[in-house]
Amino acid sequence: MKKIKFILYIFSFTLIFLNSLKAENFDQVDKISKNLRCLICQGQSVYDSQSDFALSMKILIQKKINQGKSENEIYDFLKNKYGDWIVYDPELNKNTFLLWVIPLILFVFGGILIIRKVSIK
Amino acid sequence: MANQIGNYSLYIALIASIFLIFQSSNSIRSKSKNLDSKIFSALSVQSLMVFISFFSLIYAFIISDFSNETVYNNSHTTKPLFYKISGSWGNHEGSLLLWLLVLTIFLFIFLINSKKLLIKYRLLTVLFQELIIIGFLLFILFTSNPFLNLFPIPKEGMGLNPILQDPALAIHPPILYLGYVGTSIIFSSSLAALVCGMVNKIWAKHIKKWIIISWIFLTIGILLGSIWAYYELGWGGFWFWDPVENVSLMPWFCLTALLHTIIVLEKRNIYQSWTIILSIATFSLSMGGTFLVRSGILNSIHTFANDPSRGIFILCFLFALVLLAIFIFFIYQKKNLKNISKSFLASKETAILINNWFMMFFLSVVLIGTVYPIFLEVINGSKISIGPPFYQKLIAPFLIPFLLFMAVGPNLKWIKDNLSKINFNQLILFVLSIIISYLLVKLYGVNYLFAVPLFGLGFFLFFLTVRDLSSKDSTLSQKISHFGFSLFILSILFNGIFAKEFTSNMKVGDEREFMNKTIKFENLKIIEKNNYKSLVANFNVSDNKGSINLSPEVRIYNQPKTLTSEADINSTIYSDNFLVFNVIKDDGYYNVRYQHKPLMLWIWFSIILISAGGILGYFKKDD
Repeated sequence: MKKIKFILYIFSFTLIFLNSLKAENFDQVDKISKNLRCLICQGQSVYDSQSDFALSMKILIQKKINQGKSENEIYDFLKNKYGDWIVYDPELNKNTFLLWVIPLILFVFGGILIIRKVSIK
Repeated sequence: MANQIGNYSLYIALIASIFLIFQSSNSIRSKSKNLDSKIFSALSVQSLMVFISFFSLIYAFIISDFSNETVYNNSHTTKPLFYKISGSWGNHEGSLLLWLLVLTIFLFIFLINSKKLLIKYRLLTVLFQELIIIGFLLFILFTSNPFLNLFPIPKEGMGLNPILQDPALAIHPPILYLGYVGTSIIFSSSLAALVCGMVNKIWAKHIKKWIIISWIFLTIGILLGSIWAYYELGWGGFWFWDPVENVSLMPWFCLTALLHTIIVLEKRNIYQSWTIILSIATFSLSMGGTFLVRSGILNSIHTFANDPSRGIFILCFLFALVLLAIFIFFIYQKKNLKNISKSFLASKETAILINNWFMMFFLSVVLIGTVYPIFLEVINGSKISIGPPFYQKLIAPFLIPFLLFMAVGPNLKWIKDNLSKINFNQLILFVLSIIISYLLVKLYGVNYLFAVPLFGLGFFLFFLTVRDLSSKDSTLSQKISHFGFSLFILSILFNGIFAKEFTSNMKVGDEREFMNKTIKFENLKIIEKNNYKSLVANFNVSDNKGSINLSPEVRIYNQPKTLTSEADINSTIYSDNFLVFNVIKDDGYYNVRYQHKPLMLWIWFSIILISAGGILGYFKKDD
């Protein structure tokens, strides 16, 4: 019985990890513009907005892609031009270090608290 | 006239508030055995006065009394009656008056419903609640008075922002506020219980009803907001992790944690301090939310009403309340709370602790994501945006263990259970879920890293709760809510991963091909309505199975002059067809956006199920 259980566990976990990342055929313009703030709108992404700013931004992104620029190069270009504010997904740097790390630290801290409160036996 | 009545009733309510604070502290000091009838009458007067004040504002809106500044700023004679009424709480001043109304009515209900409990506890709750009420009264009267007079009286009002002229948004604030304000009773009563040394099973049983009711309203309130965002904001999403949305989600996480913890307190009489801390935190987050929204600090789609000067008041007030709470907590904690006794690894108590652990983590992600940009800008002037990708990255991976615990936890027994009894039955379901999700992901070529485990555990929770639904015992409410949650996760995943969309510039008569579908722009009509002009387009979306007609609109409102896009949505139980169009330039072209969104209705339905579990729990007979 135990063996069967064990095999079943192994089987399901292999299935979980078998799923490797494949086939990146997203529309790049869509993907990038979803991650950009429409600077003249209130809380909308460039992708979702129909403002002149957003429309010209989409054209710009398409142009950059045609020039063979990568996603990150386009973000860097836009950040230089408009500031970090334009990107919805803040990258990890000295400004955003705490942003990414605090929740994780709290999670670990909470885990430790629970372990201390729970007796194994 | 209505202006004067509304204004003076607020002053009477203020006097009642001062009287109540003195009277209740006197009664507490003199250790009176009975509830002073004066307290009850003063409270009745106060509720009545706020009620009158609120209705005189509504009346002023109905008759379009533009001598009232609030009515002038937010209403218009051509607006339909329904929106004139809902407009009275669709603005800053009116919404605060609604907060106040709910505050007083809740306290009144509390006093009636707590007759069996200790008199000192009831008096203390009145005292704490009145401290909150007086804060709101002062805030309303001196910074946001809805009854300011205008002279000369204008002929016409400024109108209500058209995107707010919507049935879901008309009832969204009151429902949400019922949830927010319910947490104030939880706050006051938990402080009172702490002072009286009655943080125990009896109190837990009593306050549980308030927790459930606030939780239901908060859940439904958030749901209504999302539904509104989905069909009104015109981008086809329902949650943007926008600061104002986050602000309503934060107390929800906290309240959900409290909802679980209070059961442990009720059954096992442990986690006393933690329950009190959660009660304080939930209310602080509700108040803090009001502060963040009303102060205009947040940059958001919802900032239609903001004024930084008012923020200072709420901030100081909130600060004072939290300080008071912390002060009371540290004074009475040693005296009146026992230390948490240890619980066993495999027990319902531990499972609930784990729920709290994840809730606090989700809360911290949302809280930090919302306030971090504000602090960063103050500290070194750099502006960053924190949007959906941040939240998805931090929350999605943690949902995997969370779903697993959610599936397994409720089946554990109180005090101590045996871990090795994880039965074959469960394991088979687990393997089955993983296989299904693996095939699903393989078949449709989903390229999202966590797709298999998320789908898999979503299905696992789904199967387990379905299995448990048939077994009869007293926890039906919990099962329905957890079942609803599994549906929620699954429909969000399906919706997020399998949504398809298409954008194009089209003119009348154009046809476009998209994913075996033909989208045809058939015609465009102009319709004149009382308070807006409307461009109604007619689209036909057809595939080999059939065709549907969709008629989205672009509305040009006259007061205030605003352009809004009204999406047309065709909903079936399988999927939504969402179509919206926008005017670009005058060359006859329109920007058309068509989205095919699977299982959209199920997202709403699952949240209703989650709340239905709560409703069932509320009416459940105590065993």
